[in-house]
This record gives sequence, structure tokens and C-alpha cells, in this order.
Amino acid sequence: MTQTKFILLCFLAFLLIGKTTIVHAQTDNSRSKIEESSLSKKELRKQIPKYYAIALGVNSSKFRDFATSPLFYNGSVRQISLSRLKIGVKREAELGVSYDFGSYFTNFNESTATSEVKRIEINYSQLYRVGLFNSESINTKVGFLLSGNGNLRINSALQNNAAGVDIFANLLGSIKITKDISRKVAKDKKFLFWRYKLNEKKRNLAFRLNVGLVNSSYRNGYVYAGQSSVLNDTKLFDDYEFKIFSGFRASSSLDYTRYLKNKNAVRFSYVWDAYSTGGDLDKFEMAHHILKFTLLFNTNNQ
Amino acid sequence: MVFAFASCEKAFFEEELSATDPFENFEYLWKECDEKYSYFEVKNIDWNAVKEEYSAKLYEGMSEDSLFNVLGGMLTELRDDHTNLVSNFNISSFGVKYLGQDNFDWRIVVDNYITKDYYSSGPFSHNFLDNGEIGYVRFPAFTGTVDDTNLDFILNRYKDTKGLIIDLRENDGGAVTDVFNILSRLVETETLVYYSRIKNGLAHDDFSEAAPVNVTPYSLRYTKKIAVLIDRGTYSAGSFISLATKALPNVVLIGDTTGGGLGLPNGGQLPNGWTYRFSITQALTLDKSPDYENGVPPDIPMLFDWSDLTKDEILERAIAELQ
Repeated sequence: MTQTKFILLCFLAFLLIGKTTIVHAQTDNSRSKIEESSLSKKELRKQIPKYYAIALGVNSSKFRDFATSPLFYNGSVRQISLSRLKIGVKREAELGVSYDFGSYFTNFNESTATSEVKRIEINYSQLYRVGLFNSESINTKVGFLLSGNGNLRINSALQNNAAGVDIFANLLGSIKITKDISRKVAKDKKFLFWRYKLNEKKRNLAFRLNVGLVNSSYRNGYVYAGQSSVLNDTKLFDDYEFKIFSGFRASSSLDYTRYLKNKNAVRFSYVWDAYSTGGDLDKFEMAHHILKFTLLFNTNNQ
Repeated sequence: MVFAFASCEKAFFEEELSATDPFENFEYLWKECDEKYSYFEVKNIDWNAVKEEYSAKLYEGMSEDSLFNVLGGMLTELRDDHTNLVSNFNISSFGVKYLGQDNFDWRIVVDNYITKDYYSSGPFSHNFLDNGEIGYVRFPAFTGTVDDTNLDFILNRYKDTKGLIIDLRENDGGAVTDVFNILSRLVETETLVYYSRIKNGLAHDDFSEAAPVNVTPYSLRYTKKIAVLIDRGTYSAGSFISLATKALPNVVLIGDTTGGGLGLPNGGQLPNGWTYRFSITQALTLDKSPDYENGVPPDIPMLFDWSDLTKDEILERAIAELQ
């Protein structure tokens, strides 16, 4: 079976999995009314739609590590991510992990160097609806995002500093605005002599902004390389230093989510993420521009 | 809005620093060395005077080749073969081995001592000498491939000899893990062999505390007398072993002073894309002196006599020492 056929089969399975009842376009507003009924908290929680999500993305990214080079390294790397989401009207939570891998290059003055980078990120987020900016079709939530990510970089051009490992932990404040752009009633349309019907569709557009509140990093010490290899005591995090309240991080995302009749969903996203360590010595800077396609598998038929 | 934030990215990061300007690249390299190089004081180098001398050679519009010669020349002033400038058309180096005479010829060793029937076990070439009374082991480079199998084979083969010769002449170093794999076969108890410290601040004498380096004995060891042959071409990991042998009573160093290279090098890149490296640690003797960076001295000085190509005087001296 070719890789293409396998991907197509997976996608078809995704469309068919789940209860294929007809879903009336249920707006966030109507769902809100259900949640606000006299149901117990436990029952209300059960009504919050839950999903497992798998996403594939292309990440146009760049980084610069002043400890070893003043040059930016650019790359288009691949990303895969898995997450568990609860998306309610009043509350939203996500626990996810993503993995990026690929090559970054610098090619300046006919000098080329390549850095093979593997990056893993684990994040947990909670958002709560606030009174501001809400309407029939707009839902605004605020909350936080906890993120921990680590890079493993191998660049043989840097000789004895060829290997680099960076770890970042951030607490970010978040705001998310979701605009319901569902077609709530079916429409009969006509184009020239062709009549057709536009069925109800549940979909939304969401913008999220995260700004770093507590930024920390675990990185190399003063001269980047440690001396554990000549001490007969080789260590992975040799001469590393932990810094808290240092640097910055900000990210944003724009998601278009289309819900299917079987209550699964597909999502197209553009994600921007940028961070930097602080201090005057040997900063590390990295930015990501990610185009993502996500399959969301509903797990509680809500 | 998301695109607006993305386009603000440049505001969060520092300015683009890629540049071919000779003055910028010179300043960058000089400053990196000034803040992190570990042997200015040991080698009595006036780095500000070096800057004055070499910056005077810069001019607008100079060719890449000319700039390379200025920057490479500046690094050569550090007299350290762990210091290199690397471009896509040249690599600078000091060449410490040329400070002393050539003291090794493998063909002379094969033709007159170990014969062409010598064994090759991993990176080691070895055979019996002197009617089977002495073992000779040639170790030409620290390839990182020294393992228990090849060391066990060698030590078992020569266990009944009077002594062992380990020839490190013209061994210019490599993987430091090999150093400890070999040393663990030469010590009887856990042994402090040297100290090391690393740069940790801007000043030339800002270093971490000296950290002790211990070697733990491996189960199969060679306990009789050992002669280690060295010369100016014995560098880096070769010098680390030579330094460590000063703490081992059953080991004698014979030959010429080593090339040094006792500072672990780093690696970095200039604004014009060239790369460089230089030493950022110091290995210290048991009395915490960094002076062996200028070369680990032999216990028995001996030079090769090139007027007689049938004899290796350094090897002959080692055989005599082990009798």
C-alpha cells in the first residue's frame, strides 16, 4: 500500500468514525443554554465536547544561538502533534504534545552550515469565558498556557560545540476569541439554471494570543561547552544554568474549524510562536510559522 | 491580527548581524577570544597588543583571502592547535609539532622492531619486541573506538612480558573517552590524575573551581612497568594521557615534550559564516599548575637520530628502561 493510499484510508475512516446522526447546527449560544439549565456540575461537564486531535504541520522556522553564532538558521521542518481537548462554551482545556524535526540552514557569504533540529513541546492550557466582548456569535475566553519545550540541535560546523540542547518553560497569559460562522439554516440557491442547496454547517473561526508571563530557560553556561568529558564524568546538561523571569515569549494562532455530521471536526490553523532568552550574554532566539491541519475525533458524542 | 504579530517578530529579536565587513568580523572574533579563551596568562599573551597589531592590517574592500590571513594570523598568536579559523577555502592552525624535530617513522618501527606480522586490534597496532619480553603497542589517534574487547586482547597477549611500550608519538588526539578507557587499565586503585577548570567570566583569570579528575581501575589491567613514548606531535588527548601518567608510579614518559593542547576547545561562527574554535578550559597538574599547556615534559628526554635509519633511539631507550 502506498503512503498516499494509507493517508486517504485514514482520512476516510476519520469521516466515517462516530455516530452519523444528523447534527442540527447547534450554535455556541444554544449549547450555552443547555449548560445553564438545572443539570448538576458533573452532568454539565459530561456535556462538554471532548476530542482527541492529531495534527500535521509544516513549520517555517528560524533560530539564532548567540553562544555559537550571530547568524540566523532557517528551515522548513515538519511537525506532528497529538492533543486532548475539551471545548465548552464556558471552559476550554487542552493537553498536547508536538514534535518538530528537520534541517535548518545558514548560507551566507558562500559558507553553508546545517543544523539538524529535533524539538518537542508539551503544553497545557485552560481558558474561561469572560463577560467582555461576548455576543450571539462571539465567545471570548481568557486563561493560561503552560509550555515546556526542548531543542536538540546538531551542527557539525560548530566543531566541539556541535551539539546543543535548550530547554524552555513558560507560563503565558491567553485570550481567545471565537467567532461562530455557522450556517444555521439550509439555503436554496440558484446559479444560472442550476439549483442547489446549502446545508447547515457548524464552523467557527478562532484567534488566540498568548503572552509570556513567566519565562525561564535551562541552557549552557558561560562558555557553552562544559568540561565533564575531560573530568571522566560525562553529563548531558554539562555546566547548564537555570534562569527564571528571563526572556520573553509570545504566540498567536488563527484556527478555522469545521464540524462534521459525526461530530468530529477538521481544523486548519496558522500558528506563530516566538521566544528569546534574556540577559546580555549569548541569547537564544527562535520563531515558528506553522501551517497545520488537524483531525479532531469527538469522544463523548457531544 | 495574527499576521500582524508575526510580522512584529523582528521587533522581539536583535538586529540581523550577518556581515562580510572585515572590521566587524575582526572585532567579533577578537572579543570572543578575549572573553572566553583560557590560556592568555599561562602563555603571557597581551591580547590588546595583538588587536592593535592585527587591526592595523585591515582595510575596506580587502579580499576574503586577505581577511582570512589577518584573522588566522591573530589566532595563531595564541600558539594553540586547538585554535583554528575555518573558511571554505582555508583552515588556519599554529602547527605546534613543528616546534620540535620529527621523532617518529612507522616504517622504521615495522622494518626493525615489530615486523610486518604485527596485530591490529581496533585502533591499536602491536607485537612482541626483544624476544617476546616486551610488548609494543602503537596508538596513532584517539578515534573513540577503544573498547574492552581490543584492550582485553592486548593485555592478555602481553600479560607475561616484562614491560609494555605505548607509542603515542605523532598522536594528535581525538576522543577524550579513549583516554579514560586506557588509563583505567593502568591504575591499581582509584587515582587522582589531574584537575580541570573552565572559564566562567569575562576576565582572563575567571575560572571555575579546579575539579579533580579520577580514574577507576578496570578488572583486567597491566601492572608491570610501562613506557609511554611522546613527542611534539603528541597533542590534546595524547597530552591528557601524558599528564595523567605523572600520577602513575609504574609509567615513565620517554621522548620529547608533548605539544600541549590541554584546553578543551569550543566552536563558533563569525558574522561572515566562517567558523572558529579555541580552548576554554585548563587542565592542571596535581599541584594545580596549568603550565603543562606548553607541553608535558618527558621523564627521560630522548630524540630520534635521523643519521641511522635502522634504529629508533626513543624506542631503544624504552626497551632499555623496561629490561
